[in-house]
Amino acid sequence: MKDLLGRLAGMTIIGKKLIAVPIVCLGLLASSAWAQGELRFCLRSEPKTFDPLKVEDDASVTIRYLTGGVLMRMNRRTQVLEPELAESWKVSKDGKQITFKLRSGISFSDGTPFSAEDVAYTVKQLMDPALHSPTGDAFRSGPGNVETKIISPVQISITFPAAVAGLDRQFDQVAILSAHSPKKEMAVLGPFMVADYQPGATVLLKRNPNYWKTDAQGRKLPYLDSIELDIQPNRDVEMLRFKRGEIDLVNSLDSEYFDKLAATSPQLVHDAGPSLDSEQMWFNEVAKAPLPEYKKNWFRSAAFRRAISEAINRDDLSRVVFRGHAQAAVGPVSPANKFWFNARLKAEVYSPDAALKALQADGFHLQDGILKDKDGNAVVFSIITNSGNKYRERMATMIQEDLQKIGIRVNVVTLDFPSLIERMTQTFDYEAILLGLTNIGLDPNEQMNVWLSSSENHQWNPQEKSPETAWEAEIDRLMKAQASTADAKKRKEDFDRVQEIAVEQQPFIYLVNRNALSAVASSVQGASPVILAPQTYWNVETLSLKYSKPLTGQLRQNP
Amino acid sequence: MPGVKIIARNIARHVIAIVATVLLGGFLAATLVRLAPGFDVDEEQLDPHLNAESVQALRQARLEQHNIFAFYFYSLQRAAHGDLGTSISLGQPVSRLLRERAPLTLRLVGVGLLLSWAVAMALALSAAWLRVTAYDALTTVITGTFLCIPAAVLALLSVLWNVPGALAIALIVFPRVYRYARNLLAKAYSLPHIVTARAKGLSELRILFWHVVPVAGPQLLAVAGVSVSIAVGAAIPVEALCGLAGVGQLAWQAALARDLPLLTNLTILVTLVTLLANSGADVIGQMLRGQEA
Repeated sequence: MKDLLGRLAGMTIIGKKLIAVPIVCLGLLASSAWAQGELRFCLRSEPKTFDPLKVEDDASVTIRYLTGGVLMRMNRRTQVLEPELAESWKVSKDGKQITFKLRSGISFSDGTPFSAEDVAYTVKQLMDPALHSPTGDAFRSGPGNVETKIISPVQISITFPAAVAGLDRQFDQVAILSAHSPKKEMAVLGPFMVADYQPGATVLLKRNPNYWKTDAQGRKLPYLDSIELDIQPNRDVEMLRFKRGEIDLVNSLDSEYFDKLAATSPQLVHDAGPSLDSEQMWFNEVAKAPLPEYKKNWFRSAAFRRAISEAINRDDLSRVVFRGHAQAAVGPVSPANKFWFNARLKAEVYSPDAALKALQADGFHLQDGILKDKDGNAVVFSIITNSGNKYRERMATMIQEDLQKIGIRVNVVTLDFPSLIERMTQTFDYEAILLGLTNIGLDPNEQMNVWLSSSENHQWNPQEKSPETAWEAEIDRLMKAQASTADAKKRKEDFDRVQEIAVEQQPFIYLVNRNALSAVASSVQGASPVILAPQTYWNVETLSLKYSKPLTGQLRQNP
Repeated sequence: MPGVKIIARNIARHVIAIVATVLLGGFLAATLVRLAPGFDVDEEQLDPHLNAESVQALRQARLEQHNIFAFYFYSLQRAAHGDLGTSISLGQPVSRLLRERAPLTLRLVGVGLLLSWAVAMALALSAAWLRVTAYDALTTVITGTFLCIPAAVLALLSVLWNVPGALAIALIVFPRVYRYARNLLAKAYSLPHIVTARAKGLSELRILFWHVVPVAGPQLLAVAGVSVSIAVGAAIPVEALCGLAGVGQLAWQAALARDLPLLTNLTILVTLVTLLANSGADVIGQMLRGQEA
């Protein structure tokens, strides 16, 4: 090959062109067989790592999804686990052990054979405490070491020191590494492999020639030749490029862009319905927060929080802010989470009158249109949200108007994200915060660090030494109980109760669940956007393009 | 050779000033970032998958930069050995990030400067030659309009119309250059010996290169130094909004993430470029004046 390239380099330009034409033609003919071109879409930030075990940012998660081979994968449409590298698996009754039967005859992208040894190696690396991997932390249910036992080259059992709830589902995120490949994490088992990386500009993925899957007709998957991921933090530019046909997919589309695009090209946009993501607000309940005592008393009153919740018109938020592409939130779990959503819960009914009555019953009173507490303090507080997020800014303004109707004055403050996080997690210098929660997993354990009162991410009152309220103690008990059993029915009962307590006590006032909006170019075949991430390319192996496009990078903006 | 001695002394003075300013600039930048709200935190801390130990490890990483004097001292010590530290937000060595992204910014700024100077000088020279009030008013309106448009808007327009980012830089820089160039040239053309030369019918090119350039040249060089700083400053919004992976985009991301090692090094780099450009222009200008004398 090198010789051929060398000889080509020595020829005249005309000569090269003469040779290149038939080569390109042959290439196109070959591509029409099943080499289905290059898919393009944007990463919204620079990937921090290509090591699938260290992944924490969205861009790296995308690359892991496209390149990593996993033992099992949750079907993003049916929300059911399906076998991948593992033909089958069995979780022990106590939820501590999982045994996999692996497929044989599979190789990594560099040709290194895959075996149980690779699974053992991956688990060992993943559970290294020094790695501080979010994926690994999800498996850490108790103190002690994880043990792996290679039963045969295609069979392995992994034993955890304590029960890991939803153990099998956690493996959806674990891309298997090769124990022997010299290419280390760049040897992959997924449909694509990283071929080129231009920092700040693009990541080019090429089809993994050793990928093991075939379609129903026996054709090798994936259909696509390559994927070009353009690093593009600017959402406006991303939309512009989609409109120009420079990229093929847009995930998590803003409702404003969605409607604009729908007006001109309705066939390109997809609204898959409410997603797992929620928008919520909460009051500062931290005892040591630098707030006046009377304000702390309001915020720690469940009646006050419930009344605020009742006074917010969620339907208006959905209709006005999200242009109808959102649904009033019910509680901690979105209705999109088919198994774990507590169907007994209903969305809060908007009623400012009932809210005012409840506040009056709690010692508040209206005086000249201003709500005052029993000591005569006017009810005034500020809601902080992150600047630059127009949806949250609009939501905060609408909440301000809603609460004005019951005599509460709200000040809306926008801060950049680091400043907001500092107030939220370190100085506790805030009254109320409006933010969103991005849920990528379905299992309640994904929210464990939010609900446990001792947790850093127990946002309304983090790191409680012991639960400060009876209901938080009850949530702690239920969350630990559901995490310590493999019995799905029991877990569901416990987590249903957690959801009920959350709705009764309103530590988070859940506002809306945003719809999963996306855009897919008409050239992409086989796309079927869903609510779960990655919305548009979850079935990337079977995506193809109708026609070939210019080569990589030609349409990118020049400096 | 007293002239050479003066120039050498002047260069030495500039070098000392550059080193002192760069060190001070770096320290001030580091101090400002350290004191900025949100310095201590990392968005990753909000990841509900992370357990307490991992969150603590993230905090610990930031704690190492708490004492700004110690941070700056050790950063300089490492920099002396070629290690510029590691970016907190991107997790990569700063030297690698700068090496990867500097070529694009250099190209962007270089082409932008060339374009801006070409347009500005063409307009300024034609205004000086023609001396027609209407034309002068027209160029003033055009350049004034571009002066009023924020750099970010020009960057967005370049995205919208799919034109190279270098053009946006040129449009940001040229009105500023034009203002100075036009005034300098107008002043030069109004000098008695040049008015006489024109009256005697000398060709415009001969007047320009033999009489005007020697008069206005040193001051134009000073403007050139300033224009480099303007172009480097303009590269930040242009790269950030156009999605161009240069040093400007890196600076924008680093500022948002309170990335102390990256921001400190970027400040040092930008200060260095600016000072070198200005000092270079100053020294060359002095040399030209020396030759003239």
